[in-house]
This record gives sequence, C-alpha cells and structure tokens, in this order.
Amino acid sequence: MTMVEFDVSPRARDYTQSTLKGLIPDESELTAGCLIEPGKSYGFFTDTTVCIGCKACEVACKEWNNLPADEVGLTGHSYDNTGALSSNTWRHVAFVEKKQADRAAAETGYGVRENEQAAFQSGWLMMSDVCKHCHHAPCMEACPTGALFKTEFDTVVVQQDICNGCGYCVPACPFGVVDVSTTDGKAHKCTLCYDRLKGGLEPACAKSCPTDSIQFGELSDLHARAKVRVEELHARGVTTAYTYGAPGDPGSTGDMQYLNAFFLLTDRPEAYNLPAAPTRPSNRVKPALAAGLMAVAALALGAVAAFAGAPRHGQ
Amino acid sequence: MPEMEGVVTIVQEGRFQLTDTGGVSHHFVLGRHALCETEQLPKLAHEQSRVRVKYAQAKGIIAFEAKRITLLDAT
Repeated sequence: MTMVEFDVSPRARDYTQSTLKGLIPDESELTAGCLIEPGKSYGFFTDTTVCIGCKACEVACKEWNNLPADEVGLTGHSYDNTGALSSNTWRHVAFVEKKQADRAAAETGYGVRENEQAAFQSGWLMMSDVCKHCHHAPCMEACPTGALFKTEFDTVVVQQDICNGCGYCVPACPFGVVDVSTTDGKAHKCTLCYDRLKGGLEPACAKSCPTDSIQFGELSDLHARAKVRVEELHARGVTTAYTYGAPGDPGSTGDMQYLNAFFLLTDRPEAYNLPAAPTRPSNRVKPALAAGLMAVAALALGAVAAFAGAPRHGQ
Repeated sequence: MPEMEGVVTIVQEGRFQLTDTGGVSHHFVLGRHALCETEQLPKLAHEQSRVRVKYAQAKGIIAFEAKRITLLDAT
C-alpha cells in the first residue's frame, strides 16, 4: 500500500504541537490573513450567499463574551430561535423564507407556505446580523456620558463602567442594534471582540464561521474582496447581488458614509430586516430645533395679534 | 435570598462565571444594585478570591442576577 501524501497547510506545519505555551503571536495573520494594528480600520464583510445558517457565529459570540441565552422557546419564525439582536445576543442569524414572504405579500398578505421548494434550498435567505460599527455612529453621537467610543481599531464599543443606562443610544441606532439590559440597566452591543483584537486574535464569530460567510479584515481589503465577489456572482448569473454598507452603496445613505460591518445581499434590504436608507439622527436636530422655534415664534405672534385686536376694558 | 460560594473564573464586562465548591460553574450577571462595579470583577477573577454571591433568577435569560457579592478571604 502506498502512502498518500496530503497537502499539509503551512499553518498546521508551523504549529504541530497539541499544547501551546501561550497565545500564538499575531494569530489573526494565520486565521484571517491580516495583522491587527492600532490606527487601522477593521470590520466584517458578511457574504450572505454562502451563509448556511449553522449559527456557529452566535454560539462563538456567546461563548467568548460569556453572554447568557435569552428567551428560550419557539419564536414561530422559521428556524430562528433568537429572534433579534438584543443586549444578550450580539450575533443573530436571520432565516428568511423568501418564497413565503413573496407569496404572502403578492397574494394573501399573510402566512401561506409553499408546497414546493426550489432546488438546493434556494428559497432561503440567511444572514448573520451584527452591529454595523458605523463610520458616523449615531449611538455614539447620542451618548451623553461618552460611554460609547471609537476604538483604535475604528470600531464602536460601550464602556460598561461609564454607561448610565439612559438608553439614548437605543432609538439613535438606525439598525436597532443597541439594547439596554433589564438586568444590569446598561447598554450592550457587539464590541467586534475588542479584547481579542487587542490580543491579536480574529473576532470569535468570524473565526468560527465554517463557510467564511463572515470575513474579518482591514476595511480596504474587505471592500476590494466584496467588489470581486459581486462581479463573480454577476458573471455566474446572480445579477441581484450587491453590497450593503460599502461606500456609495445602499446602507451608506443619509450621511452614514460607510459601515465597518457590511453585507453582500441578493434581495431588497428590507427582506433581511435592514433599513433601505438609514440616516444619521443628529442631522435632524438642527431642522427640528428650527421648526420648533419657528412654531413658538408663530404662536407668540398669533397671541400678540389676537390680544392687540381685542377691545380693552373700560373703553 | 439564595446564596452561593465559589471562585470567579471568567469575567466579561458585568457577566461572570462562578465555580462553586463542587466544581460546577454558574452564569451570573451583575445586578444594578449589587454594590459592585464591573471593573472590580476582573480583579476577583485574577486573584481567584473566594466569594459569596447572593442572587436571584434573572428574568428572560438563563443566568442568575448577582444581588450582592461578599469577599470571603480578603488578601
């Protein structure tokens, strides 16, 4: 019998021992192909076309961040048992039964299941949702205590010891990501594994993704990778593929500029529960204040005019 | 109120794992009135201090809400 020689990757050859003395220095270079250095912009590129809905990212996130499971039970929404992003769920794999949704909208308006499914489960859309780590983060702009801040890796993190639980960040987020915990009364969201990045490790969700649907890296590299992937999909006949959150694309509207966690989608953003045109709430403060002041001025003028025209007592 | 003694083994923000005297680990979230701040938890884990935690079942999550943490063997 002849021995078959397998192609052992350089990673395995470099670390043959089963136990290590400590952390592998700059491990992300081996697992994600990028060196993590302060001062550079990092993020996620989530390619939904290769997501298989395994939820390894959800589990890895909960494991690393020591997050408790919440709302145990059946949601009634397909295979989705987490429901939505929350203070205890920082990664959420959405299961969208596309044909049902289309049919419901087009014909009945509510729950009719298809009797026939397209081959290879192509009637499903799956997407691992996460905090977008916006370039102009509305949550950070709304935070009165400075608990939300931009890290040296261009990500957005809540400092738990500074957060006073006011909850202003919750309505400010255009994606409905930030949530205040009812247990500790503080705001929580994905930190893009800030502690792991400081240790030279790739974020837990990206590292656990078996299909590389979640890719971690330097933002400029990810944008280039996404562009190539979209062109490749178009060439294969998937003409509906586009990026959401990359500069100049949907999701980067309303002065958002770009999202550090961006997505490759094949349907409308709304199908994935993403806003079609997110905006920065802080841009609405000036016009709203001006409108309020004008209303006050108009009411005051109206009152003056009404009293000036009224007959005086004793005349 | 139920209480548990053990060692804080894992800390992430206000969440921590307490390993009891039997070696079983339990998941806790620091309650808002716990008289303990999130930045104090890593020190407890680092020093492997024995603590007593008074707790209640947290609502809507599979974890306990730590109501009071007492240091048993202060160094």
